[in-house]
Amino acid sequence: MTADTDTPDPTGHPATGLDEVVHQRIRLGILAIAHEARRVEFGYLRTHLDLTAGNLSKHLSVLETAGLVDIEKGYQGKRARTWITLTTAGNTALAEEISHLKTLIARIETTTEDR
Amino acid sequence: MTTDSLSAGDDPRRLLLDIRTLTSRVRRDQRLTYVALLVLAAVTFAAIPFDWLFMTVHCDGSGCTFARRGMLYYWPPALLLAYAAIAVSYVRAARARGLGARVLPYAITGAVTAVVFAAAYTAAAAYFPTHPPFGGGPLPFWWIVLDRLIAPWGLIGLALLVLARLERNVALLLFTLGYLVLMLLVSPTTDDTNLPGWAVPSFMSGASMQLPWSMTPSQLIIGAALLTAGIAFSRARRSQQ
Repeated sequence: MTADTDTPDPTGHPATGLDEVVHQRIRLGILAIAHEARRVEFGYLRTHLDLTAGNLSKHLSVLETAGLVDIEKGYQGKRARTWITLTTAGNTALAEEISHLKTLIARIETTTEDR
Repeated sequence: MTTDSLSAGDDPRRLLLDIRTLTSRVRRDQRLTYVALLVLAAVTFAAIPFDWLFMTVHCDGSGCTFARRGMLYYWPPALLLAYAAIAVSYVRAARARGLGARVLPYAITGAVTAVVFAAAYTAAAAYFPTHPPFGGGPLPFWWIVLDRLIAPWGLIGLALLVLARLERNVALLLFTLGYLVLMLLVSPTTDDTNLPGWAVPSFMSGASMQLPWSMTPSQLIIGAALLTAGIAFSRARRSQQ
């Protein structure tokens, strides 16, 4: 899913380079938090992204299937905990998404000034 | 919550703003700045009695010279233990909040500074007694600043700069810059203070000697600066929570 967008057409519109998996507000939030935190626990994501457990699980499943995150389940004492870590592909995808967003903003601002 | 890849909320500016908000929140949650400052303040205050107890005193007809052996015996292990304690505190606190920690580069920098200090102090203690700098004359100010920079308190400041960068912590950066200015440029030199001597037993000299108070004020000032900042960061954190 991500392979198609790794080499966007440089002459095309910046939006064509956006990854459908990453360019989604919640999933982008998950990637951003996991990148900054090194590793993040399921509960932290649920609280700070204001999601239900089921909804978060669906988004994580999409990201895991795309190879962007690793999900590790374990116990801390008697409490089950799920830790999410960004993969190398996830880091790259996040950096590319941010770059595309900045390009899009620059394009929008240029277009607005031309008018 | 939507699962569409493009929605009204997917305006690029809004998405970038969301990313910035989330990442700055994560950084805030990972911080434990006050613990680092309080540990370093405690280590600085604890150094004062070591300085006294392990001071060597050599007297001849022209007067007495003091060598602060406690610096070498105390600071390298104390710094290593302090940075280990800070790293463990950061990791435990971050894990309890459901996050990873980004303190490792700081702890490594701190440990490296401890080794650098020990090496520099040992080399200076071996070389300078037979080769006094500037022919034994008055030392230029830049020399004093350099000497302070590679002293434990200067190295604490350099490591704090690394922590401020890791945490993207502007408040800590400002404090550290002020701390370095205070420590390097403002803190009184040994000659600036005319405090009376005080009879204390020195393990190294083996007798009760009149040792000068003069090196103590700068340590108290530095310790107080770290302690005050630690308390301030702790209060700021509580008010944010």
